[in-house]
Amino acid sequence: MNRVIERVLNLLAFLLTVDRPVTADQIRHTVAGYDQETDEAFRRTFERDKDLLRQLGVPLRLEHTDAWEVEQGYVVAPEEYALADPGLTDEERAALWLAASMVRLGGHAAGPAAIFKLGGAPAAAAGEPLTANLGPEAEVLELLFEAVAERRRLSFSYRETQRSLEPYGLAHRRGHWYAVGGTSEGIRVFRVDRMVDPTSGTRSGAFQRPTRFRLREELPDTPWSAGDEDVSISVRFDPQVAWWARRQLTSDAAIAEDDDGGITATLSVAQVDAFIGWLISFDEYAEILDPEDVRHRFIEHVRSA
Amino acid sequence: MTSPRTAERLTRILAMLPWVIAHPGATVDEVCERFGYSRSELVKDLNLVLVCGVPGYGPGELMDAFIDGDEVVVDAAEYFARPVRLTAAEALMLLAAGMAIISAESATPALTTAVAKLQAVIDADDDAVSVDIGAEPEAAVALRRAATTGNVVTITYTALGSGETTVRDVEPWAVFGTLGNWYVNGYCRRAAAERVFRIDRIREVVVGEERFDPPAVSSEAEVRYSPSVDDVTARIELSPPAAWVADYYPVSVVSDTEAGRVVDFSATDPMVTARLLLRLGNAARLVSGSEVESATRTLRERILARYE
Repeated sequence: MNRVIERVLNLLAFLLTVDRPVTADQIRHTVAGYDQETDEAFRRTFERDKDLLRQLGVPLRLEHTDAWEVEQGYVVAPEEYALADPGLTDEERAALWLAASMVRLGGHAAGPAAIFKLGGAPAAAAGEPLTANLGPEAEVLELLFEAVAERRRLSFSYRETQRSLEPYGLAHRRGHWYAVGGTSEGIRVFRVDRMVDPTSGTRSGAFQRPTRFRLREELPDTPWSAGDEDVSISVRFDPQVAWWARRQLTSDAAIAEDDDGGITATLSVAQVDAFIGWLISFDEYAEILDPEDVRHRFIEHVRSA
Repeated sequence: MTSPRTAERLTRILAMLPWVIAHPGATVDEVCERFGYSRSELVKDLNLVLVCGVPGYGPGELMDAFIDGDEVVVDAAEYFARPVRLTAAEALMLLAAGMAIISAESATPALTTAVAKLQAVIDADDDAVSVDIGAEPEAAVALRRAATTGNVVTITYTALGSGETTVRDVEPWAVFGTLGNWYVNGYCRRAAAERVFRIDRIREVVVGEERFDPPAVSSEAEVRYSPSVDDVTARIELSPPAAWVADYYPVSVVSDTEAGRVVDFSATDPMVTARLLLRLGNAARLVSGSEVESATRTLRERILARYE
């Protein structure tokens, strides 16, 4: 391992100081550690080292070495390499590390790499009695986040339809991740766990994010407020479930208290299917009073199951 | 293959060097604490740095790195004076973690300012990422405090499956948010076993005077499901619109094709499965499981009776 580390430190020092694109051949004959006997052995070693640099976050690019565009060489621009210093205090670094250790994404907490890059901090004490799990989709989110940051188009299959999206932002709301962005029909919200085979385009800077776009304004508060419908629905909740319904309804629902301790809530719904799904968790202790066609849809849904 | 250990070691070296360069006079203890080094690990890494540099590789081209008394000295390494930028995955993970804790209304002021500073440098749009796991319910705050102090709590709990309401004495261990809900795990004295409770199903929490000894090794807080002999298992076919169920519930996948997934779904109470099936409507089909079949029929009839 020491030999690999030495060679990669030498390679990185060279690339950061050389000031022009350098070919693989130049690297082989200039940088200490590339004394492999055969071309094949060198090629394998160099490929591994490049992968390692990219894994560390080093922005390694290929550029033409001359105006005639005959040859390509490797570049690490110091200004792209360096982390922009956010100016964190030690207390802030410690708070970030504690937060990172409390949150799981894809089953894992963040490793220390990011905190080290930000200047390190004493390891967060274990045993904080609060943790949060942001779901299983870590790898997909990484791809999506990169696409948002680098303005790459995304394509994926969604509800059996092939979609193309200019991703403007990524959000987690109550257990689910959403990708929000521009489509040919305007701004749309997609649930990340329902996206099948997402891939990002090769071109960065492929679109512009509208200046008036605000991620938070595009997101639903409840599963039934994301959609194309616009229905006002009244529901009666019996006394034994009224307390639980109250906890889950948002402030825009109008709630009337009934004499028996139950409640009647009137709320606007943008996705009736999601609302029906939620209502089923109340068994027979809730009833859609109005409108008639939603009542009918509910009955049909329950019958079909 | 390069081992992950190599990447970790390089990451730490490339982070430690800039910090030492920016803090002349830094002591061995400071560097060790900050970057999680033992003294001997630090010595090993400095010895590696010492033999690296830029082409020529003579005394003038190699870096200087050594321990002088109590002090860590790094010299002639200006090209490593800045840390490497964060990868997309690292940036996302840190932002998301910070925002999650802030949205749970459990953040210290330092975390709030840290996230704002981080966002300013890694998120040019200022809102490329937004994470809201929902404020911890009041009961969660009380339970978390009781977990910290080791106080036994009495909870009034309505079970998801049966709808039955019980009063239980519980030794709370940890509060956690997952898949959009808040949970508490701990030792339930009524069940005489470890249990997980959904906090929005807890109507009331009374924190008692009695203290308990927290478990020596705290179990990983999660909504685990380990099938037991009393469980009711049903085989369910999920068409694509319902395929997400396999990601969100602890099921065992029997087959997974483009036409859909077939899963074995286990629960302590067949009502839980019945409710899920009704929710999924015609996007799911019960393949086998007689108890679940009859529970589904019963629940369907009870709900439809309300609408007659």
